[in-house]
Amino acid sequence: MAESHSKHILSIMVDNEPGVLARVVGLFSGRGYNIESLSVSEVDSDKFLSRVTVVTSGTKNIIDQIKAQVRKLIPVHNLIDITELKSFIGKELILMKLDIKQKTVLEVHKHIKNIGAKILFEDKTTIIIEFSGTPTEISGLIKKMKVYNIVELTRSGLVSMALGKDYIRR
Amino acid sequence: MMKKLSGARIVIEALIQENVKVIFGYPGGAVLPIYDELFKQNKIRHILVRHEQAAVHAAEGYARSTGKVGVVLVTSGPGATNTVTGLTDAMMDSVPVVCISGQVPTHMIGNDAFQEADIVGITRPCTKHNYLVKEISKLAESIHSAFHIAKNGRPGPVLVDIPKDIQTFETKYGGKKHTKSFTFYKPNTKPSRDTIVEFVNLLDKSKKPIFYVGGGVINSGSRASLYLKKLLKITGFPCTQTLMGLGATPTSDDQFIGMLGMHGTYEANLSMNKSDLMICIGARFDDRITGKVSGFSPNSKKVHLDIDASSFNKSVNVDLLIQGDLSKILEMTLKYIENKKISFSKEKISAWWIQINKWRAKNCLSYKNSRSVIKPQYALQRLDFLTRHLDPFITTEVGQHQMWAAQFLTFNKPKHWMTSGGLGTMGYGLPAAMGVQIAHPKDLVIDVAGEASILMNIQEMSTIKQYRLPVKIFILNNRYMGMVRQWQELLHGNRLSESYMDSLPDFVKLAESFGATGLRVNKPGEMDDLIKEMIKIKGPVICDVVVDPKENCFPMIPSGSTHDQMLLGPNDKLEGEISEEGMVLV
Repeated sequence: MAESHSKHILSIMVDNEPGVLARVVGLFSGRGYNIESLSVSEVDSDKFLSRVTVVTSGTKNIIDQIKAQVRKLIPVHNLIDITELKSFIGKELILMKLDIKQKTVLEVHKHIKNIGAKILFEDKTTIIIEFSGTPTEISGLIKKMKVYNIVELTRSGLVSMALGKDYIRR
Repeated sequence: MMKKLSGARIVIEALIQENVKVIFGYPGGAVLPIYDELFKQNKIRHILVRHEQAAVHAAEGYARSTGKVGVVLVTSGPGATNTVTGLTDAMMDSVPVVCISGQVPTHMIGNDAFQEADIVGITRPCTKHNYLVKEISKLAESIHSAFHIAKNGRPGPVLVDIPKDIQTFETKYGGKKHTKSFTFYKPNTKPSRDTIVEFVNLLDKSKKPIFYVGGGVINSGSRASLYLKKLLKITGFPCTQTLMGLGATPTSDDQFIGMLGMHGTYEANLSMNKSDLMICIGARFDDRITGKVSGFSPNSKKVHLDIDASSFNKSVNVDLLIQGDLSKILEMTLKYIENKKISFSKEKISAWWIQINKWRAKNCLSYKNSRSVIKPQYALQRLDFLTRHLDPFITTEVGQHQMWAAQFLTFNKPKHWMTSGGLGTMGYGLPAAMGVQIAHPKDLVIDVAGEASILMNIQEMSTIKQYRLPVKIFILNNRYMGMVRQWQELLHGNRLSESYMDSLPDFVKLAESFGATGLRVNKPGEMDDLIKEMIKIKGPVICDVVVDPKENCFPMIPSGSTHDQMLLGPNDKLEGEISEEGMVLV
């Protein structure tokens, strides 16, 4: 019987010190765990704390093991498994550059407006749009925009937060 | 006013504050300022090894035989990279070690400078934690934190990388008390009372219990051993120990049914397999222990006592987890039993003991002795018999000799058995024995070795001579990498690919060239005399015990098999082929 794999969003508070990301990421690669998405940035400049959001998947045992291993890292203050909380939101940001040489500008603008994306920059040949949403919405957007020539795109990786009173303690 | 000190001086002062008496090291360009400060003081003794790997193993031997933190000092680049095997070994076997490495000056880092290596990057996965000290203001706290982390929770190695300019910069140092600790590392050591109640209930109900005891008990300290001994006595339960756990409670005890695992006893492995309650104390369900996981002790409730939460449910799912310091868990358990006046009925487990004694009667460690050639098992039995009254400290290398030593030697005290368990590092035993002997100058320290392993750190004979360490090296010389050959015989059609050594040194002459005594024995009848002479000699001795070249180590659970599929001897044949799944296991 194959155990079922499930996706988990882990939110990890770490000391913002050199090498801390390497410790977290190295643990995943060294032990053969999967990282589907990763985002990290400082969230408290007084206490030098960064928040790392990792999306990973595995059986319950593997997820438990990942959590226990990450918690063992010395610069890790706290870890919560957002997916195990009652409810949460997860958002991602995407920037996309389109080649609009072949299309009418008006048509492109209309399309972007319908989708709900924001135009950050445009010139005669390219447009950069910004969109934030759930990973599914982002994938949907990419699919829809395929009618244009997507020159490049970049995604921030998922950031997530639990709803209500659940929050990660420092 | 507080005087300003150089970084190098702060290193030494901080080590003194951590009560460090001995460090093992090797100088080089990037640590010269620290070596200069070492020269100017007389509180810390420096042992000059001949290779940095040996420095770490020596520190491990020192740490494991004393319970203190072992300390290593090496230079940058190759000095630091040479410690990687030792650090990994200490990581796998949970040995508290602090390794201080020199580094090129901060402004040169990243420049591919001479003897530069990103040792913090290299050792990130093989240390419990590591530091690169980029500011002199962080130096003292890095060192004190390193000691704190190395010895608290599940112990492990910590590396502190100190660039050369930091060693020469000056700052104030107010001692450990006045150094702000920036680590919030406080592992949970106190178990919850509810789990203790549940634990005792399980103990009380079991008809076929077994204690499965690992090195965590030894790491937790002598109190843990005492409490466990008491719990064993109160319950009357059988006890098996892992390779790392040997000596946690006396192995001469009647309730001890031998080591378990791949080369464990028949009775220990079958008891694990058939038990209804397994009490794992400070062990980690390692693959050498479990064999094929899906068939591992199928009908038992499993309790796991450990300080490390990541050891729980890693490879085997257990029914009750108790996280905490083992001595605290065991103390609380005993208190609860005492307060509730629970008495364990020996009758309830009498049928279990009858069964175990039947398994015992198989006498699974028996071997066919010979009058003409020394059997390695015989050599170790005689060594055990003739040295037991001296409570020797035993270290080993890795391979067949290691397993035989585990099977045939007696360990009546914790911290007397130092072997490379998790990593399986050939070359561990000789430097580890050095570290043990430094810590226990008057005691008998024996490195049980194979002729292949010993050559991996043989240069340390020079260190042994320099410090007049009376280490005894007991080589079971079969001219083969015995364990490799055993697997080739079993799994690779007897094709002995590269496991025979055509040219070996004359170990007697080798001993002499290092200023030690060399002894050789070929005949079983001369075994006792050799051992007696070895003990009598005041200085270091290499014994070249020429043993049966073809002897193999039994019992054995072939890879991919379960505890009840043991091979008991050379005539025991595998049932069918080893599965492909088993073949790829190490």
